[in-house]
Amino acid sequence: MLEARNLRKEFGELRATDDVSLKFGTTSGEMVFIVGPNGAGKTTLINLLTGLLEPDQGSVVVHEETGDGTTVEREITDVDPERRVNEGLVRSFQIVHVFEEMTVRENVRVAVLSRYDKLLNVRSRDDQHDEVEATVDDLLAQFRLEDSQHEVAETLPHGDRKLLDVAMSFGLDPEYLLLDEPTSGVATREKEYVIETIVEASEARGVTTVTIEHDMDLVKSYADRLVVLVEGRVFREGDPTLLDTDDELRRVLLGVTE
Amino acid sequence: MSRLSPLEQREGETVVRVPLTRGLTLTIGQTVLALVGVLVLLGLPFLAGLVGLSWGRLFRGLLFGLAAVGLNLLLRHTELVSFGHAAFFGGGAYAVAVLAAHLEVSEGLLLLLAAVIVGTLLAAFIGYFVAGYVDIYFALLTLAFNAVIFATVFRSGFFNYNDGLAVRVGGDNPTLFGLGWTDLGYDLVLYYTTIVLMLVMLLLMWRLIHSPFGRALDAIGQDRTRARFIGIPVERYVWYSFTISGLYGAFAGGVYALQRLHVQPEPTLYVFVSGEILFMAILGGFTTLVGPLIGGVLLVYLLEATRFTFNYYHAPIGIILLAIVFFMPNGIMGSLPDILAGLRRRLSDPGRLGEDLRSIQSMVRRSLTRATTTVRILVFGVK
Repeated sequence: MLEARNLRKEFGELRATDDVSLKFGTTSGEMVFIVGPNGAGKTTLINLLTGLLEPDQGSVVVHEETGDGTTVEREITDVDPERRVNEGLVRSFQIVHVFEEMTVRENVRVAVLSRYDKLLNVRSRDDQHDEVEATVDDLLAQFRLEDSQHEVAETLPHGDRKLLDVAMSFGLDPEYLLLDEPTSGVATREKEYVIETIVEASEARGVTTVTIEHDMDLVKSYADRLVVLVEGRVFREGDPTLLDTDDELRRVLLGVTE
Repeated sequence: MSRLSPLEQREGETVVRVPLTRGLTLTIGQTVLALVGVLVLLGLPFLAGLVGLSWGRLFRGLLFGLAAVGLNLLLRHTELVSFGHAAFFGGGAYAVAVLAAHLEVSEGLLLLLAAVIVGTLLAAFIGYFVAGYVDIYFALLTLAFNAVIFATVFRSGFFNYNDGLAVRVGGDNPTLFGLGWTDLGYDLVLYYTTIVLMLVMLLLMWRLIHSPFGRALDAIGQDRTRARFIGIPVERYVWYSFTISGLYGAFAGGVYALQRLHVQPEPTLYVFVSGEILFMAILGGFTTLVGPLIGGVLLVYLLEATRFTFNYYHAPIGIILLAIVFFMPNGIMGSLPDILAGLRRRLSDPGRLGEDLRSIQSMVRRSLTRATTTVRILVFGVK
């Protein structure tokens, strides 16, 4: 379980994250969606959890199950982002971040090499690790990128770039996957396909996902739990049906006045 | 090359596997080029004279080129532009000179080892401070370190100021493999020892850039943020690659000192030399492994050959650089495939030559029109 404890982050006068306490992965493989109006502090929260930003206050904690059924908690607030990946904490960005000059396969391979801790290896070629290649094959199949695996990333259509971005994240064998608008910029008819692929991959691996999403239909269809942020604070937390039943929430979120 | 295994088919292309270098696959064309390259290197002391070139200059060109190969690890893979690599070349050269002049160490290989150690440590030291920076900050910081080292050496009696130090113990050449040699023997033994080591270093660099580590460096160069978030310790890896790239410069500088037998600050440590090493990589083609080596040979030869023929010898070199950047941004080796393909097309279809001519004509016409318009505006104030 990944826990945010009283996280606070200020940018000058603006309190982007204000005393946020949340738990993710209370049940294994949970799908949490974070929603909220622009400027609600959704991305800042992910940045705090993954270490791109340091909180002014509060802490980030992972709870690990030990063999005998108890859990131990470990604070990772001061751990570097690259080391949080080893803790199973993986993220994507709102803008696609892939290695543009590498092929699709090479992109996924770098991530998988990192996961198997083989990056410092200089005695062999990068494509000669059977274990790594097998994992890469699995991922390419799962994300339906086999046909374009030898194409250079920058030449891919936008939807495939988004999928590649997520496939790389899965290549790191995440326990918690934090996705910042995985469907942004994707054509409406492809959004469902992208989310569906992510859901399949997460369920197959028991990954807890925390996804920022603006499309409420997608949220309703796929969320196990909903977190609503408004002005840096947790406004609502609970079942996605809140989106239909909670009038105040609808007003804040959708501007619906009935 | 008797250990070549049978040809293998891969993705419709004929590939030769060389077991000596596990994982090294070359097409037939590349194998031939590599063999020719090695033969030329081995025959250089004899071939150079035949075609009227100076072997010593070519040798020095290879050394600077090797430094550029090292620099290229940063330039091509982590995409960082270092303006301070002369520090390691000069550092290596001065390690040799100081040990010979002040401590009377006379064995050349020992001196060379010292050069590699000193230059690499220097790179590790500087790299530690610059690894967290990118772009212009990285370039300026490396430049600043280089300038500080140059100024220190230039102004210090220990390094004998601008006159530099002789790499001689008691007036004799250093020994090589524990033996004293005639002048010619010394040059030949040094050359062939260097070539063997240089080939090994090129192979190692080839292995490095195709290894998972090399791929991690590519990742850092292409998207630093993402690299961090797939778990690459970016700054540590940049530091490693900076140090390795300095090692190549240090080795090259050490051999340079042994070849010249005299080390001065300006040809080895000056910041302009750093710029030249960078230029070599771009001239030869920084997208290739051996491009910088070829760039090094060409540039050093051009610089040394024009130095005494006319005063403004840097000007034509600058013009060549401009031409490369405009017309061949991938450098000589990097543009070779395109040039060859273009030539082949024109051989099979001479009609294209007419097109080329027409496009040149229209280019000239356009520039002339632009020039006259500009003049008209400047002189008459109207179009």
